[in-house]
Amino acid sequence: MSTVSVSALDRLGRRFGYDERSAAVLIFPVFIVLLAVAIFPIVYSFYTSLFDINLTRPWRRPFVGFDNYLRIFADPNFWVAVQRTTVYTVVTVSVTTVLAVAVALLLNEAFPGRRLLAALVLLPWATPSIVNGLMWKWIYNPGYGLLNGLLVQIGLLDRYKVWLGDPDLTIFMIANAAVWKQMPLAAILILVTMKAIPEDLYKAAKVDGANVFRRFWHVTLPALKPGLMLVLVYETMISIRHFDLFLIMTQGGPGDASYTLSWQIFVETFRNLKFGIGAALSYILALATFGLSYVFIRALGSKL
Amino acid sequence: MTGSPNVSRRMLLGTALSAGAASMWATPTSLQAQSGGAVNFTAWSAAVDQVKSHISAFENASKLKVNYENFPWAQYRTSVVTRLVGNAPMDVLWISDAWLPEFAEAQWLANIDDIPELMKYNADAAPYCTQSMTYKGKQYGLSYYGDHMSFVYNTDILQRAGIDKPPATWDEVVRASLKIKQAGTVEYPLLLALGIDTWLVEFMSAMVFSNGGRFVDPQGAPLMAEPGRGAIETAAWIRDAIHTHKIVSPGAVETPEINSLKAFGAGQHAFYVSPTYRLRALNDPSQAAAAGKIRPALMPRGPKATASATCGWIRFYGMTPSAKANAARRANAAKFMEFFGGKDDSGTYRFQKLLVTDLGLPFCTMPLAADPDVKAFWDKWAGGGDVIAQQASSALKKDVIAPWFGEWNESASPAWQSVFLNKATPEAAMRAMATKWNELRKG
Amino acid sequence: MSERSFLYRWQPLGRGVILALFSLLLVAYVAGPVAWLVSSSLQSEADITAVPPNWIPPKVMWGNFEAIFTAGQRTVTYENRYQGDPTAGRFLPSGAENLLPSVWNSFVVGLWVAVINLLVSITAAYAIAVIHFRGRQTALYSILITRVIPDIALIVPLFLVVRNLGLINTKLSLIITYLAVTLPFTIFILISYFEQIPRDLYRAARADGCSHWQALLHVYLPLSVPALIASLMFAFLTSWNEFIFALILTQNIDAQTLPIVISGFVMDFTTSFSFVNAAGVIAIVPPVVLAFLFEKYIVSGLTAGAVKG
Repeated sequence: MSTVSVSALDRLGRRFGYDERSAAVLIFPVFIVLLAVAIFPIVYSFYTSLFDINLTRPWRRPFVGFDNYLRIFADPNFWVAVQRTTVYTVVTVSVTTVLAVAVALLLNEAFPGRRLLAALVLLPWATPSIVNGLMWKWIYNPGYGLLNGLLVQIGLLDRYKVWLGDPDLTIFMIANAAVWKQMPLAAILILVTMKAIPEDLYKAAKVDGANVFRRFWHVTLPALKPGLMLVLVYETMISIRHFDLFLIMTQGGPGDASYTLSWQIFVETFRNLKFGIGAALSYILALATFGLSYVFIRALGSKL
Repeated sequence: MTGSPNVSRRMLLGTALSAGAASMWATPTSLQAQSGGAVNFTAWSAAVDQVKSHISAFENASKLKVNYENFPWAQYRTSVVTRLVGNAPMDVLWISDAWLPEFAEAQWLANIDDIPELMKYNADAAPYCTQSMTYKGKQYGLSYYGDHMSFVYNTDILQRAGIDKPPATWDEVVRASLKIKQAGTVEYPLLLALGIDTWLVEFMSAMVFSNGGRFVDPQGAPLMAEPGRGAIETAAWIRDAIHTHKIVSPGAVETPEINSLKAFGAGQHAFYVSPTYRLRALNDPSQAAAAGKIRPALMPRGPKATASATCGWIRFYGMTPSAKANAARRANAAKFMEFFGGKDDSGTYRFQKLLVTDLGLPFCTMPLAADPDVKAFWDKWAGGGDVIAQQASSALKKDVIAPWFGEWNESASPAWQSVFLNKATPEAAMRAMATKWNELRKG
Repeated sequence: MSERSFLYRWQPLGRGVILALFSLLLVAYVAGPVAWLVSSSLQSEADITAVPPNWIPPKVMWGNFEAIFTAGQRTVTYENRYQGDPTAGRFLPSGAENLLPSVWNSFVVGLWVAVINLLVSITAAYAIAVIHFRGRQTALYSILITRVIPDIALIVPLFLVVRNLGLINTKLSLIITYLAVTLPFTIFILISYFEQIPRDLYRAARADGCSHWQALLHVYLPLSVPALIASLMFAFLTSWNEFIFALILTQNIDAQTLPIVISGFVMDFTTSFSFVNAAGVIAIVPPVVLAFLFEKYIVSGLTAGAVKG
């Protein structure tokens, strides 16, 4: 009998069971794509954040370790941005989620025209954020916008008003545009989860004599946790980093009314040409995003 | 290997993948640039057809191919910075005079002092234009166009309110505006584009200069926070115009230049501070309802100013160092810059003239001022070119142009707006601006 | 009516009124702004700047759409360049001929991304959700982590990577980028859905001798159709809407997608508001059509073989 050399693969194969190997094969494509496109930029960004880089001074790029981060925390603009971002994210995420649940409940019902309604609900999602920003900017226009026209005709307002340019309102007007666009996806995710709720749970509630609201609170809502988690994580992740709308609608203004963290990153990187600070800000934002997502996943994702 | 099934499957897959990939793979234009027969030109999306038509002529005359890319002005700097940082193959690009020190320090622009076929055009160029392209004694390009902020007014509205000539001082502007407001036709007679925009610094500079003021002294020390130097007074004047006299709309802080242009063209305001070249669009019946009624006047003076002054700027063609370092690319880029920024193969300043007669973009080439077509153009679209010529001679370059302009401007814009929104006093805002200026100067 | 219904056991009339009311509100909310967009795109510039606004175009003007569909690639010479021509009447931005090609680009990119995304995320989600292997949590979190960095921070390094691969201004670079952008979340969607499927089905299948592939194909996929469709649409629409990466990675109409071309119109001073709105309408149509085609899978076709208790 010839000596069969035991290959390394065989040895590995015996150490890792069928499960592990299958998992590795199944996950492999994802990591290839991510490695190529996402991992290098992420690592590069972190590396950049450790240097004091000013592109108008290309001959001097000292390594400063975490000094950039310290400078950011000492900068009052940063805290303004944190406040703006927090308000914006909280408003956007909460309103989107509540609306999404309401819409999902509505679409869950069987009634004539439901299919058409469901299709219409997808309209905002289909709108590119550029078009969305332009459209709402047009609607808010203080001179001939739809919002002004509508409110005046209904009689709620007696003269045309400045919406986007009023610093107390700016962030809410932008949030409104964001909610409008994001609600359909959230509603779909909730609806998909809702459809998967087993009938038995409802039967049990009926037997217990629960009314509409108690049934919703005790049966539907808890069973929606996976969907809610999805929605909360996704909405938070994107709202906290929203940039397109700010670019199109207000450019951080008026004053600093819409000066969010992602706007600050843009300004530092592309206008002030300070790549190091920009990268450091990004990492702070990334940490915040990750932290929030982790909290949501832990709280609502029972099996993860 | 004998054709084991695994191998042939793999090969098949590979072929399929690459065939599929090829279907989505357009020839990257960057590759073309490396060959000797092309010029990469980057611009913002203005005068696109004019540029394209001139490019066709250039390609015919020089047998070179031009890879022309343009971005909207609002995204231009971001896109260009990314490309410059990534050493993308760019040869010639449009630059704003405000960015010259930054880009020169970052070594993104090459000086052209050693390219005589380009330098010879300085003889015909307005000295102010050439100075705007010079930094630390070196010249960095040929001009694309040069312009200044004009004070324009709607003749019809003035006439109907019984005002026979445009105001000459800012106080007169207030009086005239109040009179127009009382006549009842116009709610906000004075239009100012105070939205955060690349233009904002030019608007503000124009108004500060018209008050006889400056932001910075010749040595580079900031004057903006000193009372009596124009900046504080201008900020206070605008704030009062919005909140006290109510002759400027509070929505002005959200309105960028383009939207103001449309509003003024719609005939909704009496007075406007605008780039001169917009006169063409404002008097065009297919674009503006108020066509034919918009005329330029000299920029109103502040109480301390002895003569009318305004802010001027130029935009120019720059060459990248990577283009200059390569002999073939340098030659091609120089040909391109000459064709566009100098004289073309017809021996005339055809492109500059085209820009004026099509779009009203004023030029830096002095000989064109005598051209009868140009004169006819201004007669037709602005009611005569004298006021414009006079104003141009008193236009001052922005004095905040420095290697840290970009960063300073980022904090200056919200500071201005905080005054207009009545959230900060002019003194405090200007102090913040001056502090930032000093901080960056030491940088 | 199903026992799941929120308004189960309400009087039919009361239920009908409530449903009608909320439906109406919803329609106004989602379709109102879009209807305004459409209406504005059919009005002339003068009508569009009227106070009070014209809800319905007083005179429907098809000029914008005509211009979009008839603008073709033209070599611009001195003779045929657009000037500020007073007799022209309608004003087009000179990039108008790029609008339809960019729609095609967006479409191709979106389709590829959606398909590849589905293939890749199904397998990965199955692995993480179903196979309880060591490092499962790490895998999930490391996939998610790639999305916590704001896109702006990734622009420059991404540009460098793509440039070094020679892929600047190609649709391929966009496809790969958007895959990286959409995969984490579609995987997340599918994981969350797979976990709702009772594990007993999985155990039964494995006990019957099914491999992981077979379990995936025969057990999980058929039960996850809504989530699959949701992921597909998510991938497509995210690619369709994406702006900032496309801005940086593309240079001309060979690869430029719709949002880039539209943003170009806004800054062109000759563009009328109504034209921008028309471009917006064009931007919305293809995804809406797709959405219409697929919504039935999401909304209604679920109860057959649905997960019963």
